[in-house]
Amino acid sequence: MTAVQTQPEATPDSAQGTRSPHRARRRLSAPYILLIPSVAVLVAAMGYPLIWQVITSLQEFGLAQQFGQPPKFVGLQNYTQLLFDSYTWAVVARSLTFCLVCAGATMAIGIALALLMKRVHKLIRNILQTALLLAWAMPLVAAMTVWIWLFDWRRSVVNWVLTEAGLNFQGYNWLAAPLTFYVVAAIIVTWMSVPFVAFSVYAGFSQVSEEVLEAAQMDGATGLQRLLHITIPMIRPVLAIVLLLQVIWDLRVFAQIKMLQDVGSVPSETNLLGTYIYQLGTGSGDFGMSSAVSIFMLVLTLAVSWLYVRRMIREDEAT
Amino acid sequence: MPTISMTKVKFHMKKQHGLLALATASALMLSACGSGGAGTESKNAPAAGSGQEITLWLAGGDTNDELRAYLKKTFQETTGSTLVIEEQSWGDIVTKLTTALPDSNNTPDVVELGNTQSPTFTNVGAFSDISDMYKELGGADLLQSFVDVGTVEGANFTLPYYFGSRYMFQRKDVWSEAGVKQPTTLEEFNATVEEIANKNPRGVENFSGFFLGGQDWRNGISWVFANGGDLARKDGDQWVSTLGDSKTLKGLGQLRDIYQNASKAPADAKDATPWLYINDKDEILDEGGKSAGSTSLAAATIMAPGWAHTSIGDLGVGEDGKPVRQWNDETFGAFVLPGNDGKPAPVFAGGSNIGISAASQNQELSKELLKIIFSEDYQNMLGKSGLGPGNQKYVSSLGDDQFAKAAIGAASNSKLTPAAPGWAAVEGASILEEFFGKIAATDDLKTLADEYDKKITPMLNVKG
Amino acid sequence: MSTSMRITQRRTPKISSLMWGALALFVAALWAFPVYWMLNSALLPNVTLQSSTPTFIPFGGSLDNFVAVTASGTFFSALGVSLTVTSITVVCCLSFAFLGALAISRFRFRGRKGFILALLLVQMLPAEGLFIAQYRMMANANLLNSVLGISILYIAAVVPFTIWMLRGFVTGIPVELEEAAMVDGLTRTQAFLRITFPLLAPGLVASGVYAFLQAWNEFTIALVVMTSDTSKTVPLWLRGFMQSSATRETDWGQVMAASTLVSVPVIIFFLLVQGRMSSGLVGGAVKG
Repeated sequence: MTAVQTQPEATPDSAQGTRSPHRARRRLSAPYILLIPSVAVLVAAMGYPLIWQVITSLQEFGLAQQFGQPPKFVGLQNYTQLLFDSYTWAVVARSLTFCLVCAGATMAIGIALALLMKRVHKLIRNILQTALLLAWAMPLVAAMTVWIWLFDWRRSVVNWVLTEAGLNFQGYNWLAAPLTFYVVAAIIVTWMSVPFVAFSVYAGFSQVSEEVLEAAQMDGATGLQRLLHITIPMIRPVLAIVLLLQVIWDLRVFAQIKMLQDVGSVPSETNLLGTYIYQLGTGSGDFGMSSAVSIFMLVLTLAVSWLYVRRMIREDEAT
Repeated sequence: MPTISMTKVKFHMKKQHGLLALATASALMLSACGSGGAGTESKNAPAAGSGQEITLWLAGGDTNDELRAYLKKTFQETTGSTLVIEEQSWGDIVTKLTTALPDSNNTPDVVELGNTQSPTFTNVGAFSDISDMYKELGGADLLQSFVDVGTVEGANFTLPYYFGSRYMFQRKDVWSEAGVKQPTTLEEFNATVEEIANKNPRGVENFSGFFLGGQDWRNGISWVFANGGDLARKDGDQWVSTLGDSKTLKGLGQLRDIYQNASKAPADAKDATPWLYINDKDEILDEGGKSAGSTSLAAATIMAPGWAHTSIGDLGVGEDGKPVRQWNDETFGAFVLPGNDGKPAPVFAGGSNIGISAASQNQELSKELLKIIFSEDYQNMLGKSGLGPGNQKYVSSLGDDQFAKAAIGAASNSKLTPAAPGWAAVEGASILEEFFGKIAATDDLKTLADEYDKKITPMLNVKG
Repeated sequence: MSTSMRITQRRTPKISSLMWGALALFVAALWAFPVYWMLNSALLPNVTLQSSTPTFIPFGGSLDNFVAVTASGTFFSALGVSLTVTSITVVCCLSFAFLGALAISRFRFRGRKGFILALLLVQMLPAEGLFIAQYRMMANANLLNSVLGISILYIAAVVPFTIWMLRGFVTGIPVELEEAAMVDGLTRTQAFLRITFPLLAPGLVASGVYAFLQAWNEFTIALVVMTSDTSKTVPLWLRGFMQSSATRETDWGQVMAASTLVSVPVIIFFLLVQGRMSSGLVGGAVKG
């Protein structure tokens, strides 16, 4: 830590006017070659499942078809049934709300913790980082088991603490009502995703040039100004991608909701898109419908993030 | 941030570097894969003659090591072939059956699955017709409610492997403090547990005379069965949900009384761990000496699968020095839920069925395995391990203590969920959990039942 | 970073610095509590865990649960499979994604936009409906129960994210840094290795951690394509523990012990890379 980092040779302006013309002539094939491994593995692993999903969504495809009976093509029937079902829209509305709340909370807490890491003494930072890493390292199944205990209506630590604090939470059943069910789910999801955001943003901070910050400080910029006008803009690529990924992940959250549903609550009132797809497919054996919902969800996710994605790509091209 | 414009792109990786990196990456990947080929066994190369191999999928760990060893050894001795046993966990078995059973190259040959899962897979043709072996494997002695869920149009596809039954556990001390006597009919039982709840002899907060989770339909269904009702019936070739039938409603009405007056269980509680509520407090927490007399007892009666008795009792110290529950006949009792006709009330029987995958390439060998499983020796071994044997001739092997007696008594009148092709969809969507969870709070049971009948009937008949 | 710390410490009054420290410790406790609870429960017998009053400190606890879950040896076989699959995934994923990130952040080419969009789309596809297709594909390619097969699926699942992540880092590194070094007489490759690559290190570590976790924790795909007992991964092994029986109560103490064992390799891996996440490497390497 004491190794003072300076970048004497690396100031942004020093390289002006030194490039020789031939360097600007890129080999056209280079980027394609660089992409070969990624594209190959993606096509190999995702190609068939994706096509299967699209085709199945146009079919009446149940367990009998999986066991060899020929499926019947029904065109867009699955989709029309889906779109005219008010339940679908209820699930969509729930999923979007849940996603926005969780992604928002995760980003806010994650960035705040990254800033906190920069602020505190090295020892405390290490403690904080280790705690976050431990939480992050905990296998999902284990984490869910513990959290379900923590909120169990009879022997939960949360109820115990609240009751000891003078509130009567003895025997309070968090999972019974949809609202408190989602509160518990949101706490768990946020707890799980914050470490990733905090570390990514913290890693992003490490790219921010100290010289610029020091210069700004000498010019009289306050800490908040420096954060808003220098640090945040400089790590925007990282922030943008992390936020987008949070939105995508929180929209398709599945395992946490499923495991909570297995413990309590009324599934039809707590379904999000992920568990709805699971219930239709694995639960009810209606793979045609389940595929249609999957494709619908893909389109929905794209729609939700479209403005953002377009801006990101535009900015990307402008750089 | 410095901008990097298109024309100013100066980073160019030489082609060779790109190829080199690629080659390195692939080499890494290949070498890693080569060294880590663990488990790349191919089991789809059928050897000729007696050196063949078949695979048995068991659900969960209930078939213990001794039973497994017996199956492997006996199979080897009788057929000269090898039996491979793979264990699938209960929560994921539907996913695994859905993918692997239709795949003739990789299907397990013999499969155990949950009894209520059997109709769905049987109806889509996942299992081989074993009607020709039915008599040989036990015939009418097999537990008929289980045989039914493996039957399609008179042909047998899966047969009962083992059963577990549900019965009642009570706090004898609390019952006598409440001054009630043992009920002999279902209606007496209903009245008794309500009385205990009202008297609440120990003044326990949130006390249940009979703890029954709101969504616990697998236990609650006994009241429907006992009043002659059912979940669904077959009308011609169509299944119809029958929650709104008068007999079913009568049972549901009694259940509502229990929910409202005898049970303080949450409306969304399932049947997970009811025994927690009839045990006393864990004294281990009070080594400091305080609150020694208090109790976390919350219910005088519960209904649970028979094996729960190992989790019920006074807190003691086991042989290994760890705290364990020790059954105490003074405090605890087990009895069969009485019906209205002097017989036990019909209870929902848990357990599993077993069948041969239709896609299996080893049909004959698989039949040999079934013969071993349904042999007298093996059936008795099942009973000795605490699993109710599928063949009722051998239930005495369960033993003759009070638990075995209760288990056998309850099983003698057990019932199962309807053998409708779409039953798995009903369970998959947790519709009965939802319906039962709403019983307690409704004023109009009939309307609620009709509403759910409308939801369930179309699901029952989905043919795939 | 170290510079900024000096600055903040110099400028911030002592009181507020104490406050921040206390806040950080509080947050740390909050985040680590479930982990502590797992460990605590792993040391306690099942009967104690069922009590309605929580036991916060495992007095009278023992390692019995750990002994019980490792007794059969299946853990170590699952550990072997998981370590192999995870290493392959991390190594291949980082190499592939690094190349991909270079391509999209340092080149403009036809199809670039389409590729970026495709990366996003792949992320958006819900996984719950894919298992039948994935099984069929693996069965047809004869890759069921194969480390290679599942690794391909995992790499594909993680690569899009990793490319996105690394792309952000690569874009954040001014090309001029390399040029400056080249002015000082380094070749293009040397400049890249000494200047750009170290600056990418935090990004590589973050992405590597992500890939590691995904491959380590993934459950559904493994469930479907790793069918035989000998090819089970660690999450499958853990799941088997939780739902082992229909006729016995789940032993939660053992489940927690098993969970702890599953976490240990991840924690070791994390502690190894944590140092690299900090600025030491970045600062040192930039100096060359």
